[in-house]
Amino acid sequence: MTAVAHPPTRRPFGAARDVVNGIVAVGVKELRGRMRGRRAFVVLTIHLLLVAGFAWMVESFAERTVTSNFGSTFSASADIGRALFTGLVLLLTLIVLVLAPASTAGAISLEREKQTLDLLTTTPISSLAIVLGKLFSALTWVFLLLAASIPVTALVFTFGGVGPEDVIRGYVVLLGTAIGFGSIGLFVSALVKRTQAATVINLVAVIGLTVGTTIVFIFWTAMTGSQGFLPDEPGVRDQGFLATLTRRPPEALMYLNPFVAQLDVVCGTETGFGTTCQVINGVTARDLAGVGFEEAQFGVARDSFWPRSLLALGVVSLLLIILSVQLVSPTRRWRLRLPRPRRRPAGSET
Amino acid sequence: MSGIVTARGLVKRYDRTLAVAGLDLDIAEGEIFGLVGPNGAGKTTTLRILATLLVPDAGDAEIGGASVRRNPNDVRRVLGFMPDVFGVYDDMKVWEYLDFFARCYGIPADRRRRMIGDLLELVDLGPRRDTYVQSLSRGMQQRLCLAHTLVHDPQVLLLDEPASGLDPRARVELRELLRELRSLGKTILVSSHILPELEELCTSVAIIDRGQVLAHGRVADIERRLRVGAVFRARVLVDGEALDGPRTWFAGQPDVVTAEILSDGTIEIGFHGDDEGAARLLAAAVGSGLRIVSFARAASDLEELFLQVTAPDPVVMAPPPPVPGAPTGWRT
Repeated sequence: MTAVAHPPTRRPFGAARDVVNGIVAVGVKELRGRMRGRRAFVVLTIHLLLVAGFAWMVESFAERTVTSNFGSTFSASADIGRALFTGLVLLLTLIVLVLAPASTAGAISLEREKQTLDLLTTTPISSLAIVLGKLFSALTWVFLLLAASIPVTALVFTFGGVGPEDVIRGYVVLLGTAIGFGSIGLFVSALVKRTQAATVINLVAVIGLTVGTTIVFIFWTAMTGSQGFLPDEPGVRDQGFLATLTRRPPEALMYLNPFVAQLDVVCGTETGFGTTCQVINGVTARDLAGVGFEEAQFGVARDSFWPRSLLALGVVSLLLIILSVQLVSPTRRWRLRLPRPRRRPAGSET
Repeated sequence: MSGIVTARGLVKRYDRTLAVAGLDLDIAEGEIFGLVGPNGAGKTTTLRILATLLVPDAGDAEIGGASVRRNPNDVRRVLGFMPDVFGVYDDMKVWEYLDFFARCYGIPADRRRRMIGDLLELVDLGPRRDTYVQSLSRGMQQRLCLAHTLVHDPQVLLLDEPASGLDPRARVELRELLRELRSLGKTILVSSHILPELEELCTSVAIIDRGQVLAHGRVADIERRLRVGAVFRARVLVDGEALDGPRTWFAGQPDVVTAEILSDGTIEIGFHGDDEGAARLLAAAVGSGLRIVSFARAASDLEELFLQVTAPDPVVMAPPPPVPGAPTGWRT
């Protein structure tokens, strides 16, 4: 051995290869733990029973509603298919909204709690590889649950009214939702020390981005001139903040609400200006002048919302992944921390 | 910087607390270097800086020629770090644990299998290969953690309190293991509170307090430089309880600072001389007719040094004389 070691020689694409190796290492470790024993299969079975049971309930309800309202019509089967599709994509969206952030909520904070993060960060594996490996392994589990639900979702084809491209659109939104909300969970996990706190914050974030944005949107819409009173009316001017809501809420407010994105997908299956299309039209309020008859006949342009929603989720994911990498790195350049009492770092003697 | 581990002017501050205050370090290859100091002395912070887990506020350190500031990834490839407090992953078998870390270092699958077997044999965990990590005893987990630092065959090992929480047998085993690692050419920087063990194990030590090195080098050299007093205990065969005569005799000898009779019938002698002086004292005692049954140091040299150097009013040490080709050296 020489007196002084020489730094390792550089390899072509070495950094990229190191990142891939790191992602594989972390991913394999995480999946080994996640899939070990009966737990994974029990959860998968419960998930399928839940989805299948829900599908049965929706189908029974839709069948009764359609036949009692209109008798046996030529489109009854398609109506049932659309109702089933709507119910399933919304249920799967809810499942993804719960599972994706929950799967990543402990990704980094658990490493801190178990005091294993130091062991990991003193290996050459990069912080990017740690973050992506954790995210991919957590999402692989969510993707597995989604893939397992495809046969149940495919039942809609037996009723009609929904095409394969609609199902693909719905699953694309689900995948985007999983990545977006998984990234949120991962970021929170990297930011806070305790998994319990990370889980609670994630839950609040999910509720805020779904229920919260919906409430704000409805309230804002109601306060503007398009619906309800006009801000310029006498008396409204004196209402302070409310008087500033002179324009309708921007549709971007709902970009991170995957339920709205799924309603846009469902809107694409409707043959008339149905409920979901009304919702999408209310959110986008698109000026239909110049839009072709094919798109405008039902009052809303198809595929107008969900691609933007996915793009927004993608941008947010990217930003949160970059921030998470900074938070995981022991030698990070930026210091992003939650405010806390000034004291010495835990785990350090001095 | 010439050693395999070098540091110049390391400074680390936590809020208003100065944890490391301008530390310099130079450790030659193949050393087992002990870092000794009381709680809060800055040992862990120093090791964490060297392990690239902390960025120093000032100064820099190099391990294997790579800077912890500029090339932390290169540093990580040549060192193995075992923190003082570490956890284990749930739902992971012993071989999977090592396999995971080997993957982190990009070791190919065929080499991983062979290396895992070798490492488990080295740390005596071969029969536990398929045991879940969380079910191992503390000592076994400690050995497994040590094994994980070796998966990439690093040149330098940083071990922070590796023997803490271990029973005596596990400590002896760990000590033997570290000796074996040294024989394999590893350079080991180890911090510990268990001073007698460090003394037996280490080729050099540094006594550190309040973020500064107070003394460094080989234990015997430090002792000689400091002329730190040693404590001896003598058992003298006397008639009845008449120990006062021998006590008075010892008290009157050169370099003897104190001589007291202890409750167990021994005489404790505070001696301010070197080994030569101690040998002369013993010879003089026997020559004067005292019937000496035993005569030995009461505590380890390192413990005495530690207590002396870290005392509120410590001995002020002159800087060590430059020794050409000296393997180690610390300065503040």
